[in-house]
Amino acid sequence: MVSTRSKMQQASISEFFEKNKHFLGFDTLNRSIITATKESVDNSLDACEEARLLPDIHIEIRKVKGKSDELVMISQDNGPGIPPDSITKVFGSLLFGSRFHTIRQTRGQQGIGITGVVMYSQLTTGKKTRVISKVKQEATAVYVDIGLDTKKNKAISSNRKRNHWFNSDGEIIEHGVKVQAHMKAKYQRGKQSVHQYLRMTSIVNPHASLSLIVYDEDGAVIDEGDWPRVTDVLPHPVKEIRPHPHGQEIGSFQRFLRDSVERKMTSFLRHNFSGVSMRAAREILLKSEIDESRKPGSITAPEAQAMLVAFKKVKLLAPPTDCLSPIEDLLIKKGLSKAIDSKFVSTVTRSPSVAGGNPFQVEVGLIFGTDLPSDSPVEVLRVANRVPLMYQQGGCLLTKSIESVDWKKYGLEHPGGRGVPKGPAAILVHLASTHVQFTSEAKEALSDNEEVFNEIRLALQEVGRGLRNHKRKSKQREKALEKFELVNVILPEISAKCSAILGREEPDLAPVITSIMNAVFSEEMSEWDSNEKVTKCSIKLFNYTSRPRQYTILATWPEREGVEIVNENIEGRREARGLRKWKLETLQPSENLEISFSIDGLSKGDWTQFDVFFRGSGEIIGAMKLDEKILEEIRREEMAAIEEEMVAAEHVADEVMGSDIDDSKDLDSAELDEALNSPLGDVSSETTVVEGIEENGAEDSETLNREEITDDPTNSTRQSKLFEDKEWSGEE
Amino acid sequence: MNSSRNKTNESVVSSLHEVAEEMHNKMMRGTAPTMSLPVRTKKNIEFNKRLGVFKYGKKRSIRDATSLRSANQLLRALHIIEFIEEMINSGKSSTLREMYYISEGWGHGKFGSQNESNNLAEDLEIVTKCMREDFKLRPEEDGARMIGDITINERNRKGDWMRINARDDVGDSGYGVPYNVESEKLRLIANDVDFIMAIETGGMFDRLVENGFDEEHRAGLLHLKGQPARSTRRIMKRMNEEWNLPIIVFLDGDPWSFRIFASIAYGAIKTAHISEYLATPSATYLGITADDILAYDLPSDDLSSKDIEALKAELTDPRFADGWWQNQINMMLDLGKKAEQQSLAKYGLDFVTDTYLPEKLAELGLI
Repeated sequence: MVSTRSKMQQASISEFFEKNKHFLGFDTLNRSIITATKESVDNSLDACEEARLLPDIHIEIRKVKGKSDELVMISQDNGPGIPPDSITKVFGSLLFGSRFHTIRQTRGQQGIGITGVVMYSQLTTGKKTRVISKVKQEATAVYVDIGLDTKKNKAISSNRKRNHWFNSDGEIIEHGVKVQAHMKAKYQRGKQSVHQYLRMTSIVNPHASLSLIVYDEDGAVIDEGDWPRVTDVLPHPVKEIRPHPHGQEIGSFQRFLRDSVERKMTSFLRHNFSGVSMRAAREILLKSEIDESRKPGSITAPEAQAMLVAFKKVKLLAPPTDCLSPIEDLLIKKGLSKAIDSKFVSTVTRSPSVAGGNPFQVEVGLIFGTDLPSDSPVEVLRVANRVPLMYQQGGCLLTKSIESVDWKKYGLEHPGGRGVPKGPAAILVHLASTHVQFTSEAKEALSDNEEVFNEIRLALQEVGRGLRNHKRKSKQREKALEKFELVNVILPEISAKCSAILGREEPDLAPVITSIMNAVFSEEMSEWDSNEKVTKCSIKLFNYTSRPRQYTILATWPEREGVEIVNENIEGRREARGLRKWKLETLQPSENLEISFSIDGLSKGDWTQFDVFFRGSGEIIGAMKLDEKILEEIRREEMAAIEEEMVAAEHVADEVMGSDIDDSKDLDSAELDEALNSPLGDVSSETTVVEGIEENGAEDSETLNREEITDDPTNSTRQSKLFEDKEWSGEE
Repeated sequence: MNSSRNKTNESVVSSLHEVAEEMHNKMMRGTAPTMSLPVRTKKNIEFNKRLGVFKYGKKRSIRDATSLRSANQLLRALHIIEFIEEMINSGKSSTLREMYYISEGWGHGKFGSQNESNNLAEDLEIVTKCMREDFKLRPEEDGARMIGDITINERNRKGDWMRINARDDVGDSGYGVPYNVESEKLRLIANDVDFIMAIETGGMFDRLVENGFDEEHRAGLLHLKGQPARSTRRIMKRMNEEWNLPIIVFLDGDPWSFRIFASIAYGAIKTAHISEYLATPSATYLGITADDILAYDLPSDDLSSKDIEALKAELTDPRFADGWWQNQINMMLDLGKKAEQQSLAKYGLDFVTDTYLPEKLAELGLI
């Protein structure tokens, strides 16, 4: 690593840039402006997220008079601002990046950051990048021009001054950053454009407000876009975690060893990595034939290699997954619905999972609309850590996952079962991970990974089932509407006309209607009530049979913290997670009945469709018979989830204990190690030691639990089970 | 002409009432109203030995109001019944097209297309065994054009009989056959021809007229205008029956022409209920045959997928069950070609009248 870095410094920066412009994202004039925008927006979003601010980001692009291939890009955010001391570092240092010992899910993993924009601007136009930064704590903003000393690879700032910063209304701007870069680039529209990039960014960052305006050289607006936020809820802060041994490669592992301040190998393993208990650390060292008391710095390359092998052989606790920040299904739904006019949206956020020691989580969304073209491939929206991927769609793992699903089964055209399916739909796949693996340095396509691939497939199948269900339901609904028109409108007219022609009495139509319908109908509705700020739901049942009927009706609802059912006209009960039931009175022939309730804690557009199930004999058109076996499984899963939560809570408690120990001097842990080592130690007098043993024991049994849960093949959401039930009962 | 022509207004109304009665009775019994009628597809046409034409068989379908589509059909049928009864009572008549527009005011009884209203009127004809003339409904479709030494009497709008010779009293476009060719409107007086030649296209009809084929070969020429209207088929039938004139049919050589011939000679599937009044079983297909395409080396087009589909359907159509037709259809399928009448012009404008037709007529033993 050292050698790479120094080599890089020796090479002329322009040479370096020229050689690597493809992976830096500046290989074509069109791509350069997208990359420049992307770097600024990513920085703004990350900064706002860290400072817990709702981002407002405005991008302005101007064509330069007399230069057909030059653009000025201006990006402005309302983020926390960059402290004056750090400005040159942020904008002028190539390798200024993520912290060394911790990993977490950030956008900034992709690309070399805003420095690339500064460099590219300077190299192509010789112009410096102008920066205005204002932090809340200071009275004035810093105005500075950033350039690069291409010989020393150092940022040089000039024209630095302090002044008040006003917005266009003359109000003082409290905090934020404005960047203005002048570069060789061309503005284009289409699938690969700044417009599309911002649109996709807005879908996967529903908490951000983005806008774009593009002027031609005469100041006329040639493109614009406005994507307001659909939620005020910021993504929950991502936690930093220590790396997991399973994700280690020899180079980085040796770096850990070299930089370690620990004095013993057991402490080294326990302090630098997640998932390593004391017992596991010992086992690793035993298996790789390394003495526990060795200094980490003294470990040789073959020994390090042996440790990597040992990592795979020893049972380790999976890394924590709360370091991930999924967008979450309801918000993806909103983001997609905002961007694309649709009839149906289904989104799935899978539970977090681990591949090669790296926590990851998959989310997908499928939107089915009427305005989208029906004979061309569906729009594929690929996203990694909330950053849209614009290039190399074909070679990307996310695309391959989409292509691998048998979409015909779910109602999309899929000629030959190959490629991206066709139809008026868009499919979004989001991979959140602490370590996103790309096929190349261009960072536009994800490389193959079986675990991730399988997770995406499962999620896609789930939204696919949702789509099929939706299509079946709309067909049923159409039929039901026809029947209603038939008996309520046409039949009475037939009766009246017949009687008039023949001059006879009109027949009693009730028995005729029953004989025509001969079914129970259910009709559900869900709509946002803007006055009461609740989602109003209703289920109407019509008994058009000649027999009295009795049912228990069940409906899905988005059960989660802060969301509750209120104002039920019939008291319902919780059947399982996300499933409410109402035991109904007997419904006499030709009677109807309505269940109504409101869902509090959601916002507009969160809950537009739901599923209705029933228990009872016969069929209900518009509702599905509940499969009790599936319900049983849902309950079992729910129990498992509760257990998992309890275990996790215990784990947190352990961590607190553990961190106390870790914070103590290295000597203390050495002592602890020694005490644990000695079977002859006076156990009863050393209470801390006893606790230590118990703690480790608990941790190990927990390891088993956690792994069992993670490997459980039934680890999918409850909703999907209900859909699968429909599949199994085979009522197409 | 037949029993149905002699139906009184009262019997027509009472037949129509039977349709409403079927619906009313069903509803009084607490079940969905129905209208039962013969299945109107090629699967339900049978050769009637006594009449020598194809008629509907015994398969019946019941249209019941359990689907919105069928219920709408029933409601529309009731509106038509009411409308016909009103016309009968007030001594009016209307065209099918007028009825289609009048249905605009029928609310849910409104027709989706004129095809739908035409079909429903036909349904009622079939169920009541009446003809649309009984219903005071008339088509707006054009009748045929006729040229030749044929004399008829036609009653004009004033009610007077007008004597017309279809050679001497007409211009180049010939005598226009009215939509009603029954004896109260049209009488066949005299002829000096040996046969009637029915021709599919206007271009060929005009060619034969220009070349004086009618005079030279003592022929009555009739322009069918594609699928012939009821009155065209009826007047051919009458000339064949009353004057004993052979009907020779000269069409394009394609699957659709075969169907035109079948409707002339054997009865059309849509009007199988009145085949005995419309079909001329002794009519002869002259050409263009599949073997003409080869024998005369005619310019031809490839069969389209629709053509092939139609030919295959004809192979299982009972009207084409005889050996000659099976042979022709299979030959055309093998050839993969079709040819127009006017492709004969390849050999010059007179070829059709000087060579082709005389040769073909000689083959048939007519000259």
